[in-house]
Amino acid sequence: MPSATSLAPPSAPADPPRRRRREPSAAFHAYAYRVGAAALRPPWSAAEVVRHAYVVGYRCLLPVLVSMVPFGMVIGVQGMKILDLFGAHRLLSGLMALLVIRELAPVLTSVLVAAQAGSAFAAELGAMRLKEELDATAVMAVDPVSWHVVPRVLGMALVTPALTVLAAVGGIAGGWVVAVYGRGLPHGEFAAHTVALIGTWDLWASAVKGLVYGVTIGLVSTWRGFHSSGGAEGVGRAVNDTVVICVVSILVLNYLLSTLMFTGAGAAG
Amino acid sequence: MSVPAVEFAHVSKAFSGRVVLQDVDLRIPAGRTTVIIGPSGAGKSVFLKLLVGLLQPDEGRILVEGEDLTRLDEEGLYRLRRRIGMLFQDGALFDSMTVGENVAFPLRRHTRMREPEIDAAVASVLASVGLPGTQERMPSELSGGMRKRVGLARAIVLDPDIVLFDEPSSGLDPVTSDAIDQLIVEMRERLGKTFIVISHDIVGTFRIADHIAMLHGGRIVARGTPEEIRHSPDPVVRAFLRRNIPLPPLPGEREESP
Amino acid sequence: MTAAAGIPARFLATVGGYAGFTWDCAAATLRHGLRTDATLREAYVIGVRSLPVLVTMAVFVGTNLSIQGHAAFRTLGAHSLVGMFVALAGVREVCPLLAGTMVAAKTGTEICAQLAVMRTKEQIDALEVMAVNPYAELIAPRLLGIVLVMPALTVLTLAAAIASATAVAVWQLDVNPGEFRDYVFDNIRLADVGIAVLKGVLFGAVIATVSGFFGLTSERGPEGVGRATNRAIVAICVVCVMLNYLVTAVAYR
Repeated sequence: MPSATSLAPPSAPADPPRRRRREPSAAFHAYAYRVGAAALRPPWSAAEVVRHAYVVGYRCLLPVLVSMVPFGMVIGVQGMKILDLFGAHRLLSGLMALLVIRELAPVLTSVLVAAQAGSAFAAELGAMRLKEELDATAVMAVDPVSWHVVPRVLGMALVTPALTVLAAVGGIAGGWVVAVYGRGLPHGEFAAHTVALIGTWDLWASAVKGLVYGVTIGLVSTWRGFHSSGGAEGVGRAVNDTVVICVVSILVLNYLLSTLMFTGAGAAG
Repeated sequence: MSVPAVEFAHVSKAFSGRVVLQDVDLRIPAGRTTVIIGPSGAGKSVFLKLLVGLLQPDEGRILVEGEDLTRLDEEGLYRLRRRIGMLFQDGALFDSMTVGENVAFPLRRHTRMREPEIDAAVASVLASVGLPGTQERMPSELSGGMRKRVGLARAIVLDPDIVLFDEPSSGLDPVTSDAIDQLIVEMRERLGKTFIVISHDIVGTFRIADHIAMLHGGRIVARGTPEEIRHSPDPVVRAFLRRNIPLPPLPGEREESP
Repeated sequence: MTAAAGIPARFLATVGGYAGFTWDCAAATLRHGLRTDATLREAYVIGVRSLPVLVTMAVFVGTNLSIQGHAAFRTLGAHSLVGMFVALAGVREVCPLLAGTMVAAKTGTEICAQLAVMRTKEQIDALEVMAVNPYAELIAPRLLGIVLVMPALTVLTLAAAIASATAVAVWQLDVNPGEFRDYVFDNIRLADVGIAVLKGVLFGAVIATVSGFFGLTSERGPEGVGRATNRAIVAICVVCVMLNYLVTAVAYR
């Protein structure tokens, strides 16, 4: 409709209607899609990926081992007691190795990775959001997701499976100490039953679980940090949310993955 | 001058080898407003923390109304602190409590007043800082200037002998900052207590101060009435008043971090 | 000092700091008295806030236990033993430990972040200047609050886990319900539940003191808040796992 005022601009040529650009959504699925798209569309820095992988591994290795070894010892103590009831304590090592590799190492490792590295990611990105570093990155025409988020997620995805396998070794070592030195189970028998009951499939399953949980932790922690708001409290809240959401998701995913991997006919051999 | 409200006697303080205060000797008179000015990193915050016993000096004595703070046990220190009120930089209000609960906090913890009396006291002190009827607001809903007013209300609600102000004008726009200065002058006239202010705001300082001491590089470099400071021949003082930052270094000065 | 030599030194300094902190807390609480009203409020808040996420977690712990037990014992052709596995592994070890982890994740990080924020905003200094002891005011009520609710939370976790384990065993894994129930209840002694509750209480004490320690000694600023929370949760997890082993080693000798 023509305007009456002289200040009105000359009627603009009809531009083809373009969709208004929308602000990126803070919902998890939208965020995960954004990260996935950025990961598939380089450039992102491989050096940054390696650096984050190294930091995650370096920070988490000690906590993981320090928790997994006592946990293996607990299984040793309890398992020996129970299997004695059946006169079957020779089976301890095999059953324990099975449990540790398939279930406990992936779950405990990723819970600790969430607590240690996940909460650190959330805190770092939360502080960057607060100090407008993320906005500054975007204003300098660098996608903050490619630059700050993708390397973290990929780094964590690389390292968590490795940590899981190391944790499994640590857990079995803990049980071995209790069974062989504490309860006098012959060393050869322990080793033989361990090897007899576990297959390569179990090791792969363990690493795959580690990979899935690593990606989950990476996404959840950076998501809470990236979209945090509200000052120092916001950073605290991001860390808190990260750990809670990660622990629950790990348990849910573990149930689903175990069902898929180990209850299917013939899967576990 | 009678017994000073606060006396620093040869006080020194260093953090892991870095000297922050060096041989500070200062008497702060009772019933007046004394402003400690200086550029950031001069040791002003440490001065204030020493004065309330949050830090212990490495050397020297700190007398508050004749009592040596450095030799008090915890109980004595807490007894002394009940006579001191402090306005923190951003108010330091408890986020989980309403404005009213924040102001009532010292009354609930240190007096046996009943709830109606507490309500009356809170209402009156909030009115006196220009925020009547704000009891139910949360600190997060307040502007920076309002948080400082509530912080001041909480600081004076126990009717302390000494009121401390940590950078009352920091983080405020000039208009709000003027209003806070005005409030400090009013409160001083009404209460007649000892006010000690640390500040880097030159204009505000001359508006509120009865006495000024200038801290630079961990030392008191000048002291006197506003007139005396304004006409001080000291090059460091003159440079600061002309807002020439950085100031000329003192002989043998160490590097300061903020 | 080289970097390698710095780590044990820093570790020892932290342990020493923590020991001093707990001692100061106990001393301050004895001297200034316990704030009963605040303790009860904290107990209520902690209990109610961690309940939903704790129950969610317990449900999936139970499902995991059934799947794991089933997969392990099937290799031996004794899959009905899954009930025994759920009872023994779940009640004695996994449930108390994961309940501790969850309360640490939820309440521990909350306490730590809260205290670190208070420190950043000079609110802890404000307490001191108002002649109120921060330990007696902030730490003791949270510590006792957690310790009060932990037994109830632990028992609830056990119940939820066993219920969901039963559901998975019966509906997903086709274990005979009667057999499963018998194996579960034959293998839970009252003493086992007692030891689980004891573990819960110990973990609660660790959670409150460790998160209080890291919160009150945090560096100021948002990074400080994040770092303190991060350190607290990791320290809690590691200490709880070790404590769990000690209790198990003594109780189930």
